[in-house]
Amino acid sequence: MDPHRIGAWLCAAPLALLAAAGSAATNDEELAAVKAELAATKSQLSATQSALERVEQRLDGLEAGAAAPAEAAASSGPRIPPVNVDNPAISFVVDTTGQTDTHGAGWNFALRSGELFISAPIDPFLRGFATINGSSEEGFDIEEAAVVTTALPWNLTVEGGRFFADVGRLPHWHDEALPFVDRPPSIDRIFGGETQAEGGQVTWLAPTEHYISLKAGLFNVIGADPNEQLRDEGFSGYRNFSELTVLVHPSTYFDLTDTLNLELGGTFFTVAHSGQRYLYGVDATLRHQPGTSSFYQGLVLGSEWYWNDEEFQNVDPVTGDPLPGDQRFHRNGGYTYLEAFLGRRYSLGVRGDLAVDPAGASDRQITSSAFATWYPSEFQRLRFQVDQVNEQHAQNDQRFTLQWTAFLGSHSHGFTTR
Amino acid sequence: MASRPVELAAAALCAACLFLAAGPAGARLRVVASLPDVADMTRQIGGDRVEVVTIAEGGQDPHKVPVKPSFVTKLNRADALVVQGLGLEHAFLPALLEVAANPKILPSGPAYIDASVLIQPLEVPTSQNRSQGELHPLGNPHFNLDPVRGKLMAKAIAEGLARVDPAGASAYQEGLARFTALLDQKIPEWEKLAAPLRGVKAVSYHQDLIYLADRFGIEMVGTIETKPGVPATPGHLEELIDTMKRDHVQLVIREVAYELPLAETVAERTGARVATISSLAGGLPGTDGSYVESVQANLEALVRAVQGGGAS
Repeated sequence: MDPHRIGAWLCAAPLALLAAAGSAATNDEELAAVKAELAATKSQLSATQSALERVEQRLDGLEAGAAAPAEAAASSGPRIPPVNVDNPAISFVVDTTGQTDTHGAGWNFALRSGELFISAPIDPFLRGFATINGSSEEGFDIEEAAVVTTALPWNLTVEGGRFFADVGRLPHWHDEALPFVDRPPSIDRIFGGETQAEGGQVTWLAPTEHYISLKAGLFNVIGADPNEQLRDEGFSGYRNFSELTVLVHPSTYFDLTDTLNLELGGTFFTVAHSGQRYLYGVDATLRHQPGTSSFYQGLVLGSEWYWNDEEFQNVDPVTGDPLPGDQRFHRNGGYTYLEAFLGRRYSLGVRGDLAVDPAGASDRQITSSAFATWYPSEFQRLRFQVDQVNEQHAQNDQRFTLQWTAFLGSHSHGFTTR
Repeated sequence: MASRPVELAAAALCAACLFLAAGPAGARLRVVASLPDVADMTRQIGGDRVEVVTIAEGGQDPHKVPVKPSFVTKLNRADALVVQGLGLEHAFLPALLEVAANPKILPSGPAYIDASVLIQPLEVPTSQNRSQGELHPLGNPHFNLDPVRGKLMAKAIAEGLARVDPAGASAYQEGLARFTALLDQKIPEWEKLAAPLRGVKAVSYHQDLIYLADRFGIEMVGTIETKPGVPATPGHLEELIDTMKRDHVQLVIREVAYELPLAETVAERTGARVATISSLAGGLPGTDGSYVESVQANLEALVRAVQGGGAS
């Protein structure tokens, strides 16, 4: 090889290597620059995407009238009607009646019930309620003042104080909640008004798909009149266990079809002391609830029947008349009614009732009634009822009653008076 | 060998304890939804992770839903309760919850999912006075009729489900993304469909269309009810008819839960047309409880009536 060519190669090789090295350095820098640019672009894209999401979210919010959905989500709990935590829900019911009959006794206008109802949660485990009632006939009374648990395990609920013991269906309803202008006479006579009671009651809801509820209670006595009598006697508050009234009330419910359902209940209560009282009852309610918007809106067929086996000691519990010694009476009575709901605000119904006194002469009374109800609004009701009263030891009578009821404040019907 | 039965019993006891301790692992979340709109959204978002039962049906008036004991047992066994909120369920839900013996789904409980929490309510009453009718104190609760607000309902439900079932949070987010994407696709189509409704004057039976009107540009002039929840009086109807004639009202919108004859009478006397819509999903034939189908059916009914397709 030509020595000059060798020399040239020897010179050129390092230069070529140097040039190659220089070129590699330039590529690395460019690569680094491109990488940096890519990272910056990615970062910008990410920021733009975030900004886009925020704008979209704001747009949704603005379109929907919400100022800042994300912040609202972070700060908002369930929306519950604004009730001052220190003040309970309060309602007042004005229930007035005007009545006349064919006996010619004239007209009777009455405040049948002016009822103040108060309720509130007490703490996370308890709620309380009270009902104070005043009427033309009976003056003022604390009808109910009780507490109810809200968070017991095993589907248990305990209620204690003075309240309407859960007997049958209508006996523990307040007057103003009844589907008629009056308490069915049979119920009125057997229980002595509402099933007011002082004591405690436990409710167990079976943890099954099928509805089964079992209530059991222990009370001084059951019934508004017997309670009043007890108080009038200066009841000291102490009694033997066998003198207390024990109540058991199972109930169940069947969806027969999508729109037809049946509710069944049984009642048993006893005063064990020398077998003083045994009361058995059954109640059945068939409801057709089509949920349509047509004129016919539904139907309720309800019935209750009670058998009372009771020993009375010297005094008739209704009249207060003396009885000749201790006597045992087996009496039964009950009612059946049918109510059809028409339109959103009207209903028509009929009722048949067989009532007897629980002691002494039975004074059997058969009452046939027809009633019409109109709700001008959800919180006002007008009802007219005609009763044909056939009494065993008195002249038959026709009675005409107009009832006007208004609900002030936070009135709502609970589950039991549905 | 003598200890064998004891060992078996101990093993059985341990197995029972493990089974009970394991709880409903693998089981689907039992959700009770108060109304069909939130029920459908919960199904769309929760997919296979949830089992949803609904209390009210589409054609019912939400203010008049029957309080059935069979709902009590469902609420008793529920892992979560989804409500539309703003007091819409006040007529039936409080009574059911009163006896359901399930503290976790009470309004103060962790499994009470309120779909209204992201909604800015309209028509919030400035005073709580029943002389103004049966007002909802927190504002008009019928926001489900606006599909844009429907997206916010879905978001609130997804967040609620994730709170109750944290293990499924990502699944609920995916479900929400799918449902929101569907609504995002549909909303422009609905806006195009509802274009003829823009500027149309209408009366409704009940005061429940403010959100729908707000979205699609319908101008609400009045209601057949005298006040919310208060039936029409003759005097109010005469006044309404005069107003409708004066303002050239084109539409009488009758919600399917309300009576048709009165809406028809008002329409006949004013020359307006009746459109029947449903304020709850599934109230119109063919919608099958679907929120999306119901929005579509409502808009089609309104447009059909405006374009002279006869009473729908």
